[in-house]
Amino acid sequence: MFAYTIRRLVQMIPLLFAASVVIFALLALQPGDPLDELRQNNPNLTAEQLEQLRKAYGLDQPIYVRYFKWLGRALQGDLGQSRSYGVKAAEFVFGERLPRTLLLSGLAFAVALLIAIPVGIFSAVRQYSTADYAITFMTFIGFSTPVFFLGIILLYLFTVVVPERTGLPALPTGLPSLFWSDVTTGSISFFGFIGTWASHLILPVMTLALIQMASWTRYMRASLLEVLNQDFIRTARAKGLAERKVLYKHALRNALIPIVTLVGLAVPGVLGGAIITENIFSYPGMGRTIFESLLAKDYNVAMAALAMLAVLTALFNLIADLLYAVVDPRIRYS
Amino acid sequence: MAIAAPKSSASADTAFGLFWRRFRKHRLAVASLVFIGLLILMAVFAPFIAPYSPTAQPTGEDLASKYFQGPSREHWLGTDDLGRDVLSRIIYGARVSLLVGFMAAISGVLLGTILGTLAGYFSGRPFRFYLGPLNRREGGWQPPLFVAWRVASWVLFYGLLLGAAQLVWTLGGDDIRAGLGGDWSFANVLSLVASSLAWAAIAWAAVWGLRGSFRLDLDIAISRVIDFMLTIPELPLLLVLSALLRDPGASVGQWIQGVFGESTSVFIIISILVIFGWTGSARLVRGAILSLREQEFTTAAQALGASEARVMFRHLVPNTIAPIIVNVTLGVGGAIVTEAALSFLGFGIQPPVATWGNMLTNAQEYIFSAPWLALAPGFMIFLTVLAFNYLGDGLRDALDPRSRL
Repeated sequence: MFAYTIRRLVQMIPLLFAASVVIFALLALQPGDPLDELRQNNPNLTAEQLEQLRKAYGLDQPIYVRYFKWLGRALQGDLGQSRSYGVKAAEFVFGERLPRTLLLSGLAFAVALLIAIPVGIFSAVRQYSTADYAITFMTFIGFSTPVFFLGIILLYLFTVVVPERTGLPALPTGLPSLFWSDVTTGSISFFGFIGTWASHLILPVMTLALIQMASWTRYMRASLLEVLNQDFIRTARAKGLAERKVLYKHALRNALIPIVTLVGLAVPGVLGGAIITENIFSYPGMGRTIFESLLAKDYNVAMAALAMLAVLTALFNLIADLLYAVVDPRIRYS
Repeated sequence: MAIAAPKSSASADTAFGLFWRRFRKHRLAVASLVFIGLLILMAVFAPFIAPYSPTAQPTGEDLASKYFQGPSREHWLGTDDLGRDVLSRIIYGARVSLLVGFMAAISGVLLGTILGTLAGYFSGRPFRFYLGPLNRREGGWQPPLFVAWRVASWVLFYGLLLGAAQLVWTLGGDDIRAGLGGDWSFANVLSLVASSLAWAAIAWAAVWGLRGSFRLDLDIAISRVIDFMLTIPELPLLLVLSALLRDPGASVGQWIQGVFGESTSVFIIISILVIFGWTGSARLVRGAILSLREQEFTTAAQALGASEARVMFRHLVPNTIAPIIVNVTLGVGGAIVTEAALSFLGFGIQPPVATWGNMLTNAQEYIFSAPWLALAPGFMIFLTVLAFNYLGDGLRDALDPRSRL
């Protein structure tokens, strides 16, 4: 297992190298260059000064030279400066934006799984019942709903309709201007702090969770049905085990194996795919960072964020495979 | 003593009849088929159905009252921020959504099927990719016109080597020159060492290339590309790619503009959806072909002297058609959502062309004052995708009764 992990990690290197080349090339070939904005804001810049800036930024060199220089610095932990925020790109992306997205998508993932797995089990156990049909129908609705539409609807419901009808306050979007230091200095209580953050997070978490829930329910149902139809379940029932025991000890454990893999594979998609949700609710996480840095031609930040997503994807693929062996003793990697 | 022939209705005799009888049982799938049919009719006859032009803006007196009209008798779904009729834009938007959906799904699955077939069929039979000029022949599958390919591959091989040498020269050059000038800093020494190693490797490769050979298992190559596609984050890269292809300053952008004119952004969207959309069906088809090629009918076809292409596309691919059709159907829904998402973010199809996705972009800004602007396109996307998902489900049940999920 250890040797397998090491081998997979080594195999990851060329894959990530190729991914970084592609991402870098696509960013370097983007229309316009980072100096465009400077040129517009400051019409007095002479061609000579622009040329100097170009040289200072290294934009006069061919793309492949720039790539290898970037790679050399990146391997030493230097991802360059953010042009629009004036801070180090690495600090900005990993220190500020990534934790927020981890919080958001982690919560959404937890909510989705906590609801979807029991519902999927229920639906599979009561196959062909009215409840099963209702759940299956709901899951179809769920994964046919585009995330941007759901986001807009929820935004409208909880900031306009509900407050108008019930007089409850509208749910806020964006980030609260509250920090942990406010709690330590005593300007807000601990629960007030949690409450404020929660009120800001409800809408984006709900959006992400509702969309994911549909597919998890479906996978859980299909996976459990597959197991329930197998011979060893019949054997377990035939020897007189209680149905509860058959279900939870024999069937569920096996049915959860593919779910573990799917969860591992879905994590990176959720991190990157939160672009739309974060945009709708003005939540400044990774997705919004990527979107904004592309618009602002802040390529150091975009490169840091995209490269990190690629690394995370590769890592979670590996974790999914390893977990697969952990939960299923029949699988041995050598 | 005659045994009565089993009774069969006329419709059960053909494969299509059999399929249709099974498909009909899935009520929602039939309803979806009808819905999609109506949608296609609506898209085709949009100019006759739409009450207004999708881009017509109001003129004349009292303009302010013509913007943001709520649903009324004249404008069933109201008007938008520029006073355009929302219903007409929805009807015209169906054209773009369906065009993008069908084109992207069909081309993506077609490409995936071809690559998946090649990968599955030639798995374990490496393609002799490179054979040095001084090498004697050796085994392995070789393409027709191998002599021409051999010469071309030498040119390619030594060309790449030259490129690598230039790269090493450019990267290390400055530092080494600075070092020779007496400034032996750590970075300069590092460059010298790295460059020397790189030069040694290039020299070795140049000598190896004379006699060596290089074989490539198409299956491994294609599977690696698929793994790679799974590593790169999809949605952000779609954004990057669409901005790049649309750039009128770049040669690609100019070429596309020249060829496609007004429909440039539609073409761009379709091509980037295809670039990311072929992997799923390629994996599916590859798996199917891997098992099919071991069956007797394949051996029989080969024994009868059928060419590789004939075995692949006449004998193997038709046997994978059921999952391919299901994949296309589900792919249309997926492509419609992705197009809408890209357009929603402003990286897709550009206004004034109406699409359901870019109608939502504007609607988001006015969600508090004019919510109907978001509801109409949102529901159309939702219903269309739901219909394609149900249709795919019904087709799967009817075509491939064994598969679940």
